[in-house]
Amino acid sequence: MAFVSSGYNPEKPMENRITDIGPRKYDEFYPSVIAKNKGKWSHHEILEPGVMVHVGESGDEVYTVRVGGARLMSTTHINEICDIADKHCDGHVRFTTRNNIEFMVDSKDKVEPLKNDLKSRKFPGGSFKFPIGGTGAGITNIVHTQGWIHCHTPATDGSGTVKATMDVLFEDFQKMRMPAQLRVSMACCLNMCGAVHCSDIAILGYHRKPPMIDHEYLDKLCEIPLAIASCPTAAIKPSKVKLADGTEVKSVEIKNERCMFCGNCYTMCPSLPLADTEGDGIVLMAGGKVSNRISDPKFSKVVVAFIPNEMPRWPSMTDAITKMVNAYANGANKYERLGDWAERIGWEKFFEKCELEFTHHLIDDFRQQAYMSWRQSTQFKF
Amino acid sequence: MSELLSNKEAATQAVVDFMTKKSKNKSKFYFNDFQDIFPDDKLREIKKVVNKMVTDGVLEYWSSGSTTMYGLKGAGKQHGSEGEA
Amino acid sequence: MAKHETPLLDQLESGPWPSFVSDLKQQAEVRAKNEAGVEFQMPQDTVEDLLGVLELSYKHGRTHWKHGGIVGVFGYGGGVIGRYCDQPKLFPGVEHFHTMRIAQPCGKYYKTDFLRALTKIWDMRGSGVTNMHGATGDIILLGTITPQLEEIFYELTHNLNQDLGGSGSNLRTPADCLGSSRCQYACYDSNALCHFLTNNYQDELHRPAFPYKFKFKMDACPNGCVASIARSDMSFIGTWRDAIKIDQDAVNKYVENDAAYPANAGAHKGRDWGQFDIEKEVIALCPTKCMKFENKTLKIDNSNCTRCMHCINTMPRALRIGDDRGCSILVGAKAPIVDGAQMGSLLVPFVEVNADNDYEAITEVIENVWDWWMEEGKNRERLGELIMRQGFQKLLEVTGIKAQPQHVAYPRTNPYIFWKEDEVTGGWERDVVEYRKHHLR
Repeated sequence: MAFVSSGYNPEKPMENRITDIGPRKYDEFYPSVIAKNKGKWSHHEILEPGVMVHVGESGDEVYTVRVGGARLMSTTHINEICDIADKHCDGHVRFTTRNNIEFMVDSKDKVEPLKNDLKSRKFPGGSFKFPIGGTGAGITNIVHTQGWIHCHTPATDGSGTVKATMDVLFEDFQKMRMPAQLRVSMACCLNMCGAVHCSDIAILGYHRKPPMIDHEYLDKLCEIPLAIASCPTAAIKPSKVKLADGTEVKSVEIKNERCMFCGNCYTMCPSLPLADTEGDGIVLMAGGKVSNRISDPKFSKVVVAFIPNEMPRWPSMTDAITKMVNAYANGANKYERLGDWAERIGWEKFFEKCELEFTHHLIDDFRQQAYMSWRQSTQFKF
Repeated sequence: MSELLSNKEAATQAVVDFMTKKSKNKSKFYFNDFQDIFPDDKLREIKKVVNKMVTDGVLEYWSSGSTTMYGLKGAGKQHGSEGEA
Repeated sequence: MAKHETPLLDQLESGPWPSFVSDLKQQAEVRAKNEAGVEFQMPQDTVEDLLGVLELSYKHGRTHWKHGGIVGVFGYGGGVIGRYCDQPKLFPGVEHFHTMRIAQPCGKYYKTDFLRALTKIWDMRGSGVTNMHGATGDIILLGTITPQLEEIFYELTHNLNQDLGGSGSNLRTPADCLGSSRCQYACYDSNALCHFLTNNYQDELHRPAFPYKFKFKMDACPNGCVASIARSDMSFIGTWRDAIKIDQDAVNKYVENDAAYPANAGAHKGRDWGQFDIEKEVIALCPTKCMKFENKTLKIDNSNCTRCMHCINTMPRALRIGDDRGCSILVGAKAPIVDGAQMGSLLVPFVEVNADNDYEAITEVIENVWDWWMEEGKNRERLGELIMRQGFQKLLEVTGIKAQPQHVAYPRTNPYIFWKEDEVTGGWERDVVEYRKHHLR
């Protein structure tokens, strides 16, 4: 593995340095039909799940085939996407905010060959490389965070929980039988690098044990004031601890009942690990949305307080999700989002319809906003 | 801009002194802490001067991923533990 | 064959959804064979070790990564996240495994020559594992070693005309929906605004001086496809002030259930919902009940329309957004930590989105907000939390925006108004002696 220089000279880092140039300009990458009709689109139609046509005022058409993608993606896979884009789409491709991939062609006769090509590509294990779907009143791809593949504070895995969930929801990725679109999102700890707090269904990794304290090494590896300052609830304070061999060391003390399990202290100090096999698991939330359509955007609510991590396929979690999806699909009116449905029938009915247990953990007790969620009315359903 | 901030050498010395004085406790500082050194200056002005100290090799950044802190170059315990010393 | 046994991960290869495990395995194999003759600057078996350490996490139910404080390339305070494996002896190929964030092109359109060039750099100088894309919007390159960071940056800037994205207490890489590039609902060109702000504020993006992270997101219409209202400190949502444009002939095509006019642009095709019923599906669901359909004519009382998009989404060939377009600016959205989640709150009901004057009406709001937050924000306090702490009135004051009923869902329910002295006639200094002339002790 011989070192190959890019041309960078570590002795003179500022020599020929180029900085502050930002991303490539978007219009360098527009397909020509997009560049030509930008700002002048007339309307669109979803022809079938995963296939859309957008029609310009000029009469030009662009056909889009949307496919799901694992957001964790290798360069080999990206090059395969490029091969497809070169073959069918004049070398253009687009990614969506929800980790889908969009292949665009400028005439209808190019759609079938593209679809057939996409459908034909599978991984050796049997999964589709490019499943077509993710449009309209269905379930599209899950946005998610890193999890165990790359993060230091996750309470569960990202890619694995998503794969397990999308496998059970796969039919609804390729159908549009829902009353409205249903957005599932996943974040592997409460820091929510990917905000999931306004999703129809949110999968959230959650720790339940405060960090352990590695007293012997803490002062050697960490700066105690920084560890203390990192705690959002001021649960950490300095202390002196006597080790088993009698030596006294500087360390910290954690007020466990104040810990909100965020892992910020572990970020600052590797001697405060909090991951735990039994402590960590999944919270499910439901009923949020970000669109302003019909009703205001709203937050998701916690509907399952805890599900243990069940590797590799999280069956209890996917069962609970499936129950919610089916109850919603059967019960909601056309155009009604999951949260609007739950509010219309009442949350007491939501738990009944979804066969989920209501527990005391689901009653808000966090600061002043908790009161807003209690029932101040005699109107409720038995 | 205050006289102190506009004098590069004096400003650098003030930052080094401030951080050295506190180095017994901690080696990393939030950007807001520079306000204590240059109380009469706008943060945007302070930013320009402090970032120059980074390219000059006096200071360096430390990041938690979500937050960034400043410290004297090479200071602190984490370098050794990360094998980056 | 494989370096590590992965019996748990192997179970994620079956099922229809694209398997990241299969993809990682194929990547490991491509690196092992190295038919392209890549001069790897990172262990050739790094992906094998990545699978190995992930399998261990599946076995333990615990992560095996540690954070590192490394921030970026020389002079940058963001764009790189440091990662170290906590089992380096078992998995030496991922002992150091840093992330790089690469600023994505607005709208996320690509040409394959760019993607191929990027993957070529990443195959040689990193693990070849990516996220397309990260939650904020960047292209994420997962896994390289410290000495390669500068090399990659040099190649990106010199050969691909491409910069890093943001992390830490910086402006994060702004992200947008595809906007007018392919959507008739777009009220402004989100790609152009996103690109302009990204470039205009490169210094804020690369050199940290904020109390915490700061995110811009652009949704070109109230449908909110990039969720800006939930996850950006400053959210730019397209809107219009004049009338929805109606094509009455097309409305009637929908009413007649013409096959070329499927309701909701065909989004409900997967189930038989019966014949389209304009009364039930449009008129009755309008949140402000400002529509009527009589004598084959649709009437909208635009002064009472709140532009929720429902009727337009449902009959896209008949209804179009108005022509007096701009955006609303909402501020302060954030995920729950620490004080609970916040949705964006409306600060500017309408502002023009004008590229010809470099969006000056928008940058003025941005810079006023930043000046306030930089001065007053506590360490790790998001804008939304500062607004909560100092009050919405303070936000209006620093941005010079006049209070208007659009700012609230409803007026305050308590009368505890903290009057300022200069708001009260005569001020607070009073003469108690004069008072006592009329009021005995």
